[in-house]
Amino acid sequence: MITPNIEALSLGELRYIARKQGIEEAEVMDREDLLEALEEVYEEQETGLSGDGILYSPSTQRRFMNTLVEHAVDVKTGALPGVEPLPEFYGETSIHLLVKNPYWAHAYWSVCPQDMMKLDQASTSFDFFLRVTMHATADQRMSEESYDVAVSKLDTSWNINLPERGRTFSVSLHFTDSEGNTGLLCQSHTITTPKSFMLDHPEQVVWDDDYFSLVFSSLVSKGGVIVENPLLREVVNNMDEQVRGNHG
Amino acid sequence: MAKNSIGLILHAHMPYIRHPEYPRFLEEDWLFEAVSETYLPLLRMLKRLREDQVPFKLTLSLSPTLCTMLSDPILQGRFTDYLRLHQELGQKEVARCAFEEAECTQLAQMYLDTINANLEDYFETYQCNILSGFKDLEDSGHLELITTAATHAYLPLYSDYPSAIGAQIELAVQSHINHFKKRPRGFWLPECGYFPGLEDYLQNEEIEFFQLAAQSLALADEHVQRGSYAPVSCPNGVFGFARDFHLTNLIWSNVEGYPTDPAYREFYRDIGYDLPMDYIRPFIHEPEVRVFTGFKYYAITGKGNDKQLYRPQEAARRVEAHADNFLYTVQQKGKQLSSKLDRPPFYTLAFDAELFGHWWFEGISWLESVLRKAASTDEVVFETQLDYLDRYPESQVLQPSLSSWGAGGYSDVWTSGENVWIYRHIHKAIERMEELAIRFPDQSSLKQRFLNQAAREVLLAMSSDWPFIIHNGTSASYAERRLRNHLGNFNVVYENMCKNAVNTEWLVKAEKRNIVFCDIDYNMFNLNSKRNRYNG
Repeated sequence: MITPNIEALSLGELRYIARKQGIEEAEVMDREDLLEALEEVYEEQETGLSGDGILYSPSTQRRFMNTLVEHAVDVKTGALPGVEPLPEFYGETSIHLLVKNPYWAHAYWSVCPQDMMKLDQASTSFDFFLRVTMHATADQRMSEESYDVAVSKLDTSWNINLPERGRTFSVSLHFTDSEGNTGLLCQSHTITTPKSFMLDHPEQVVWDDDYFSLVFSSLVSKGGVIVENPLLREVVNNMDEQVRGNHG
Repeated sequence: MAKNSIGLILHAHMPYIRHPEYPRFLEEDWLFEAVSETYLPLLRMLKRLREDQVPFKLTLSLSPTLCTMLSDPILQGRFTDYLRLHQELGQKEVARCAFEEAECTQLAQMYLDTINANLEDYFETYQCNILSGFKDLEDSGHLELITTAATHAYLPLYSDYPSAIGAQIELAVQSHINHFKKRPRGFWLPECGYFPGLEDYLQNEEIEFFQLAAQSLALADEHVQRGSYAPVSCPNGVFGFARDFHLTNLIWSNVEGYPTDPAYREFYRDIGYDLPMDYIRPFIHEPEVRVFTGFKYYAITGKGNDKQLYRPQEAARRVEAHADNFLYTVQQKGKQLSSKLDRPPFYTLAFDAELFGHWWFEGISWLESVLRKAASTDEVVFETQLDYLDRYPESQVLQPSLSSWGAGGYSDVWTSGENVWIYRHIHKAIERMEELAIRFPDQSSLKQRFLNQAAREVLLAMSSDWPFIIHNGTSASYAERRLRNHLGNFNVVYENMCKNAVNTEWLVKAEKRNIVFCDIDYNMFNLNSKRNRYNG
């Protein structure tokens, strides 16, 4: 952890940093107490372990990863002219789906007040659910499948697990009421998750030393760290299973 | 023929930040620090190599927002103030150190010398516009200048919005032509963000190549023949070059990278934070906001706070050792690959330019040393992606995989819990912009200006910088304000146009605030109109 020379900081700056570090009662502590408390925090962080047991130091984690300068304080820059408040929702019923990675998508939706009113009038109570549809593949190897995720009327977004690689997905928002009626409110565009040759054919990589070396020599650091990527991790696990299966 | 080719791409980008409504504005310093610590020293180094007739060729991406800011008279004036203020601080520091910290005096003088060199270059060599320096190096055949998305949008999250992606690329190319009088042949994908099909938009603008994240070819849906050691041709003929993570990580790693050497200068120890407020107050921001001043006297030393004095001569020795190590690693790698490839390997190295000089103080010296040493051997050559394609026009046809260089390799950084809320608003603004372009095509006079301003605001909201900063938690409040500001501005136009009205007073102020892309045409958000233009 690399910190500013805290002894040179003003009382206000020390209190700000103390608050950011989660020190309780920073507002009423005097300068000496703040310095002492912060030094303790930094000492702990110096030898701290992250949740996954890997040594880390927060400020050097970011080093060289951000082209922008970070400031030690969250500066209030004053009002920017012309800032208009954003609406919380737009007057339409729609749902959108974004790919976060091959395993997760993010859905956000809104239901317009008229549709909400109709639902209110039609039944004593109702709720929503999401239907995630995995579409049939062009070669008919996979048929259409779907699964439902219960969400509440107050929810407006959800992270959706995508169970298969290389499939096309869509998500639709439905209501279900106290009488057991259900209905479609809106449907998203489709998204397609990436599939990988290496994931589907680990045997063609793992037993070919030259090809394995050709592909992986550009993906692994000098210290043996592989590019951070969940699909690549799955590829490596699959190859590992191939090797162990063969030896078993 | 060299046994190893390195295609180095440096990407220079800053988000559009310009606040003439304030006497000084904290976030404008990002640009000024990059100019004084990276761009001007980089230009000096490259021109030195050229004068010494050292052969080299690099690719440099200059973002449209950066080019706009570097050409902006108001920001040029403010950078002048910045340089003069730091010159004054340097003079004061040399005197203070001589009296109080004699061991730091030479370092203070070193920084002052750099500031003086910057002042001379900025005024006398470049007449306040450093883009001419990069253009000059391109004209002499040492740089290939390329562009990137107009406001540096992370494009995979807009794949459902062809008009917005088309606008980002079309405007970028137009901006590049305006600044350099030449159509760019390459395109830097912001954050290395790629989705299959993106190449079609690039082809529309006659782009020939782009760079990719390291894993994008290895994880493709087809068998990649040459790993990342050769480009692939997308099905439409645009070429993709994947970064070499192994070589990149020798530099861009906070664990094992060269910049972590204990002898190198510590970025985070700066007199802006270390010296008493009474002394430093005139050189920081009001009210008493400490900032980095660039005057840093300590070496990285180790993880603790107990830092040793920075010793430039010791750092210079490490620079030479790291340059040797880099070239040795490249050569060893080439030997190992020789039996596995049917042609010499091409290593794509792609970095943010600001890593060199700004973050890694010795980075520019390291690059100079590497280029000089490479020139003295026939084992390694630095050439551009286009040079390589001239030599090897045949490439494997392969569709790269969805990818980015962000943590995890996909879109997680830009869709995290902190920032994912923004897409509801940005996507809606794009849909509404498309609606306006269709409802009000080919307007003239005030309505045209009003709609053009709306298009500017949508594009500025799409910048990848805002969600990145919000995700990182650094200056998050500013990034969120900017985002809300652009979306709010867009809504002003939308609501007025829905009433068939133009708010002239608002428009004039908005045009002054966000003056980027002066020749923007909002009709680009009307896909039918755009298609007609292409067909025509």
